[in-house]
Amino acid sequence: MGLLINIFVLALIFGFAGYQIYRAVKRSKQGKCAACDYDCEAKKMLNQSKKHPV
Amino acid sequence: MTTVALLGNPNTGKTTLFNELTDKYAYVGNWTGVTVEKKVGQIRHSHTEVIDLPGVYSLNPITKDESVVTNYLLGNSPDLILNVTNASQLKRNLLLSVEVLELGVPVIITLNMIDDLKRSGHYYNLDTLSSKLGCPVRTTNARNKEGLTELRADLVCEQSEIKPNSPLKLNYPMMVNQAIRQAADSLTKDYKIDAKFAHWIAIQYINHNKVVRKYATIHQLKPLLSQKAYYDAQKFEDQIFETRLSFIENTLTTATEQLQSTKHVALTSKIDKVVTHPILGLPIFVGIFYLMFKLSFDWIGTPLSGYLDGFLSGPVSTWANQFLTQVGALPMLRSLIVNGLIAGVGGVLVFIPQIFVLFACITILEDSGYMSRAALVTDRIMEMIGLNGKAFIPLIIGFGCNVTGIMAARTIEQPKERLITTLISPFMSCSARLPIYSLFVAALFPRHQALIVLSLYFLGIVVALLMAKVYHIIFQAEEHSVFIVELPQYHIPRLDIVWHGTWDKGKGFIKKAGTIIFAGTVLIWLLSNFGVSGYVTQIDQSFAANLGQILLPIFKPMGISTWQPISALLTGVLAKEVISSSMMVLFHTSNQGALIAMIGGSFTTLSAYALLVFILLYIPCFATIGTIKSETGSAKWAAYSVVSGLVISYTLAFLIFQIGSLLM
Repeated sequence: MGLLINIFVLALIFGFAGYQIYRAVKRSKQGKCAACDYDCEAKKMLNQSKKHPV
Repeated sequence: MTTVALLGNPNTGKTTLFNELTDKYAYVGNWTGVTVEKKVGQIRHSHTEVIDLPGVYSLNPITKDESVVTNYLLGNSPDLILNVTNASQLKRNLLLSVEVLELGVPVIITLNMIDDLKRSGHYYNLDTLSSKLGCPVRTTNARNKEGLTELRADLVCEQSEIKPNSPLKLNYPMMVNQAIRQAADSLTKDYKIDAKFAHWIAIQYINHNKVVRKYATIHQLKPLLSQKAYYDAQKFEDQIFETRLSFIENTLTTATEQLQSTKHVALTSKIDKVVTHPILGLPIFVGIFYLMFKLSFDWIGTPLSGYLDGFLSGPVSTWANQFLTQVGALPMLRSLIVNGLIAGVGGVLVFIPQIFVLFACITILEDSGYMSRAALVTDRIMEMIGLNGKAFIPLIIGFGCNVTGIMAARTIEQPKERLITTLISPFMSCSARLPIYSLFVAALFPRHQALIVLSLYFLGIVVALLMAKVYHIIFQAEEHSVFIVELPQYHIPRLDIVWHGTWDKGKGFIKKAGTIIFAGTVLIWLLSNFGVSGYVTQIDQSFAANLGQILLPIFKPMGISTWQPISALLTGVLAKEVISSSMMVLFHTSNQGALIAMIGGSFTTLSAYALLVFILLYIPCFATIGTIKSETGSAKWAAYSVVSGLVISYTLAFLIFQIGSLLM
């Protein structure tokens, strides 16, 4: 495996991990629904209304 | 598109019915207050949309979530209302039905849980009920799908096919009737409000409905506002209630039929005599939890977990290592994948059996109907503290995840009590803490795993209750919420509901393994492989070691003598499961067995227990902190929960270790 591929895989893993930590912090700042792992109907509706504001 | 609104008292099986009728699956529980916000689903292969509203006893809301229903009726006009009632509790359920029927929107009433009614030896003549109430009446048993095909046929129809309903007109006392008529006439004439709606809004206004009164003020409905003092002075509210009640009693007396066979003795009341007994109730509650942990740790969970660990740390790990060597991966990448990700994330995933068994047990308790009894049993203790049984529900939900627990606290109407419940919720031992308990009990308490975990869970409850008492005194919370809990009939738990409930609670754990646990593991791998001089081969020179060693003197008084658990604790703020994966990475072990042996060597039983207590009570995870902030509306409370958690956990762990050392 070439050095480039090695670096690419490492960057991929670190990038994904960094993004997840960033997302967790962002989600917890939004609180309530966003921080909760349940994808309930109310939450789906909320997300949809955010995507397509009336 | 036809819109059907599902409406009824709490715990009448609305959500079960919603799930059976629509293509959605929503969380159900055999207890009060599970549906907090409205949910929408579509009946399969049809143009009918069903809206599941939270359960309410009346349209005059007491709690925050109850106003969802009244607001919905004020702002929307569904084509049809499906009023779900508990057939065995019809007298109370019809109080809401009457209010809905007065609106004049087409209504179908379904007597759900009809089997429970039959078992009690009674039945209602449906034709009599239908003619008295002026709407179709059906019977269903959502749990075993009885009567659902007929009900579905009623609901799946075009808007034009729905027969209009005229509003139910009760014989209110003359003065009340006159007041309603006058107000409704003026509203229709001067404000061009539809006659049916004006009639309903007048009754609700006179009946002191807070939401409707607010609505009248916003819309400046003068005919109502100008008479407010008169309505209240005449106590029309009481007269309306009495008229409704006597109408319902009269209707039910006429419609009641005795069934021939009354042989079936209500098993429910027999069981209740034992499980809600003033003295026996609590030990039974503790016993049931002990049994749950026995199943999760000793009997089913841990043995299964052992096999899973054998598979992940054996073949999977070896294969990955060989594969990476063959393809020429750098040692650093190999270490990250094998010693970091597979050992760390895999190290948490091996606890799936324990977590799922525990969730299955909790779902069985919910579905059987025991949870309401547990709330009743704990109500007595909660009363002494100043809270009531209602606060028990969010706390128990907090055993799954503190975030959902805090959100469930919305059902508590008194703001101070709600705040107290929110603040004590993080002390409840959520499922994310199970992996770390599992590791330590397997290492140091192999013979008493269930007992130690049980003691931690109850210690969490005790601390939560003591803190509640303290807050109660500080906040001077004098007003009390009313706690009414309905004791549903016991059911034999249905396999698909148990599976759905377990999966619903457990899938969050699996999802977290791929996201935040993964991220936490990479972070701790980085911290343990890099130091001030760059990439290090000796872990003792890493950032993780430096950080742990700096903090070590603070943790020494509670019996911790190595730096690894301290660094692991820091990552636990991301998610509590990460503590386990961090331990795996920091102790450089690839399988659970090796880590357990390592922990066994680094801790004594006393220091291990002190550490577990610290883990139970210290800083809540990110998601919980965020939820506290948004639910209390203040960052101060979120910061307070972090500080108070640290102080309490440190003090307790310190006391346990120091006093324990003196005694041992």
